[in-house]
Amino acid sequence: MEELDKSCEYLSGVCPVWCPGCGYYGILSALVEAFADLKLPTKELTLVSGIGCSSRLPYFVKAYGFHSIHGRGLPIAQGVKTANPELTVLAVGGDGDGLAIGGGHLPHVARNNVDITYLLFNNAIYGMTKGQFSPTTTLYPVTKTSPFGLAGEAINPSALAIVYGATFVARGFSVKKEHLKELIIQGIHHRGFSFIEVLASCSSFNTTDMNVARIVKNLEMIPEDHNPEDAIEALRLAADQEKIRLGVFVRHQRPTLGDKFQEMRRKAKGKGAGNMEALLGQFA
Amino acid sequence: MQSDLVLRVAGESGEGVITIGETLCKIAAREGIHIVTFRTFPAEIKGGSCMIQVRLSERRIPYHGEGVDFLICLNQDAVDENLPDLKEHGVLLCEAECDLPEKNPGWTVYKAPFDRIATREIGSRISKNIVVLGALSHLLSLPKETIEKFISEKFARKGKTVLDHNLDALQRGFDFARSHLAKKDSYRLPKGSGRKRLLMTGNEAIAIGATAAGMRYFFGYPITPASEIMEWLAAHLPKMGGMVLQTEDEISAICSVAGASWAGGKSMTSTSGPGLSLMSETIGLLSMAEIPAVIVDSQRGGPSTGMPTKTEQSDLLLALYGSHGDATRVVMAPTSVSDSLRVTALAFAVAEKYQLPVIMLVDQALSARLETVDRETVERLPQGSRSCASPADGAPFVRYQLGASAVSPAALPGTQGGEHMVTGMEHDERGNFACDEETHTAMTVKRFRKLAAIESDPLVAEFCTRLGDENSEIGIVTWGSSAGPVEEALAVAKGMGISAQAIIPRILNPLPHQELKTFFGKVKRVIVPELNFVGQLATLLRSTYRIPTIGLTKVKGVPLDPSEIVEKIVEAESTLNARSTRAYGRAG
Ligand SMILES: Cc1ncc(C[n+]2csc(CCOP(=O)(O)OP(=O)(O)O)c2C)c(N)n1
Ligand code: SF4
Repeated sequence: MEELDKSCEYLSGVCPVWCPGCGYYGILSALVEAFADLKLPTKELTLVSGIGCSSRLPYFVKAYGFHSIHGRGLPIAQGVKTANPELTVLAVGGDGDGLAIGGGHLPHVARNNVDITYLLFNNAIYGMTKGQFSPTTTLYPVTKTSPFGLAGEAINPSALAIVYGATFVARGFSVKKEHLKELIIQGIHHRGFSFIEVLASCSSFNTTDMNVARIVKNLEMIPEDHNPEDAIEALRLAADQEKIRLGVFVRHQRPTLGDKFQEMRRKAKGKGAGNMEALLGQFA
Repeated sequence: MQSDLVLRVAGESGEGVITIGETLCKIAAREGIHIVTFRTFPAEIKGGSCMIQVRLSERRIPYHGEGVDFLICLNQDAVDENLPDLKEHGVLLCEAECDLPEKNPGWTVYKAPFDRIATREIGSRISKNIVVLGALSHLLSLPKETIEKFISEKFARKGKTVLDHNLDALQRGFDFARSHLAKKDSYRLPKGSGRKRLLMTGNEAIAIGATAAGMRYFFGYPITPASEIMEWLAAHLPKMGGMVLQTEDEISAICSVAGASWAGGKSMTSTSGPGLSLMSETIGLLSMAEIPAVIVDSQRGGPSTGMPTKTEQSDLLLALYGSHGDATRVVMAPTSVSDSLRVTALAFAVAEKYQLPVIMLVDQALSARLETVDRETVERLPQGSRSCASPADGAPFVRYQLGASAVSPAALPGTQGGEHMVTGMEHDERGNFACDEETHTAMTVKRFRKLAAIESDPLVAEFCTRLGDENSEIGIVTWGSSAGPVEEALAVAKGMGISAQAIIPRILNPLPHQELKTFFGKVKRVIVPELNFVGQLATLLRSTYRIPTIGLTKVKGVPLDPSEIVEKIVEAESTLNARSTRAYGRAG
């Protein structure tokens, strides 16, 4: 009961606008419970999102929230973290938001190892716009914009993030709330870019791909002895077609964008004093 | 002695043409001479013709000069292309082998075997430009020691052999000129005040202005002709504790700016037309979420990829209206290099104070041109800051308060009790999405009230200037770098006994209505010179003030010439005198 009270402190009081049965409710509660466990001060918590049902999440959380434009949550979060490294920065968005329109940003935030945590809500459909296929739609090929089937193959978000060089890659499931909460805690703890794919069903427009019974039947936890520094093995697990693997695929350390900035500042200062007078000197 | 000298160096890209021009500029700036340059860039990476024109003067000059006094040509193509611009009694210094036209209107010609001296005597073809500098130091009586010092500074890092080659080249050029080229003309460097001036390009001035304004986070994507802004900042901003990040595209750049700015850091991006097009959606977000940002667009020939190395002023309508919905933004346009310094600082002051995006338009010619800047300019820059709240504990923070002031105080992330939403959706005072009739109207009005407040802010008062004879009935309205040729044209017309006046707003949105209305009340003709095809400023003025305008547009990729403007002034004057029944000039 006390636990519940603590996580409630992270709710803004704005009532979620999601459909009954939407998988996103589970993600929201795992998220606020993770915040409560971490005892994060709300004033330092920032949530950035793009556009989509998933991107509505920041309204429901007590934090500094930025609901932006379709596909652009990641670069905005990168800017926030750059200007104020003290903040705990999270980005959230859908599979269309992050892999279609905003798909060009993911490789760069990953390679820059920006110290933020990104939750990609994978419901394999465009929910907000009411049922067009997304880059991850697979088992439900006949959508409103694909009445005769899908033209392209689906993208595997976690596999992609591993290949892009994200330093923390995990997959969770909205129904397995405790497990998801643990992943989020680990993601926030991780210094660097944390990518968490969260499987969630869209109760209104695609109950096939993320069908709870199907996932429960096929899921398998990543073995305890998996070495998260072994990216090749991680990729094999993430790309597994037979089983839906949940857990941490990849975790390793390398300097973050913030670390690189520090290093660059140090090098630059060796090349000249940091004041206007000195800068103007080169034009005299 | 003349007070003004227009000198042009022309050759093939890679021949060191620009080095010659820049060295002359540096020497002159140290003497306290005023300088404005213009340079062309070949469209190719290597090869192709290029030139730099340097105008040197005892007094402040607005423009790089029309017609050349002293022309230096490194090859035959350069002679063929540039000789038509040499004035009647001008001087030509060229490679010995160049053929010249038979008819000579009175030019003084000096020929020297620069190529041979460089290849045979020095054994280094690339030192040809330094040989030319040596000859010039004799012909223009430049202080040779100062040139030697520059060469030493420039080549010291390349090792002793290279440095010695170049010093040798300078000496040989000088010696050749002294023994073979007896001075037959009277051109010299104008007299300097002795007060050293700073010498920088438009792009450098923007970078300096931003740094001085406290900008510490820059995100950008390379594009001609704006890249130098990012490159300069990448080298120097980290010294000031700031950071530059080259992003994956312009959308990422402007979004990163949005994030950094929301978090409280003064942030900016710079780009050219193609990048500004990509940024349109985010400009709407900045407007809606009320987040400060400075976006510099160095315009080039468009549309699409257009002419990357050529100048144009054709992004005004994009800057004014780009992005869907009623998206508020401020649009500014400096006129010169030192103006770029001040207007960049103003852009930050206004963006921060009014929490909205500011687009600053410059153009390729202004970005690339070298100009002398007074040091005091940097010390007296406009300042403004973001109004931040101290939220009361307990009560939810009201980010978008509707009230007496057009600006509602922000709470930066990290502030105790200031948790709130910012959003691109229409929202209520707390930032929660709302799409009822009253809210959308009230919030739209809130955002537009800021524009009205800017118009009357004393901060912007000095950023609209009047030139010429305030009683004249012939008026000119222009913007950006076209102001230089206009100022020059007013002087030429005055010399011809024709009076005219001009008004030059640095802020194009919101327009300075008071000043413009007063101006239009006085003049009977309105000429609008600008570098685009449709007359973008003229369109804006006609639709805003319902006045007929006389368009003067040009899309050749180069700046306006004062003579083109003088011609329009003369034309307008004749229609005035004829008391034509057609009340105004044709709308262009
Ligand atoms: C530039 C732009 N294009 C299109 C849209 C319309 N749009 C809004 S949300 C969305 C897709 C949402 O799908 P997804 O990102 O998977 O999120 P979900 O709603 O499923 O959570 C689209 C296409 C938009 N808002 N902006
Ligand atoms: S449309 Fe789908 S994703 Fe959107 S709220 Fe409803 S169930 Fe959730």
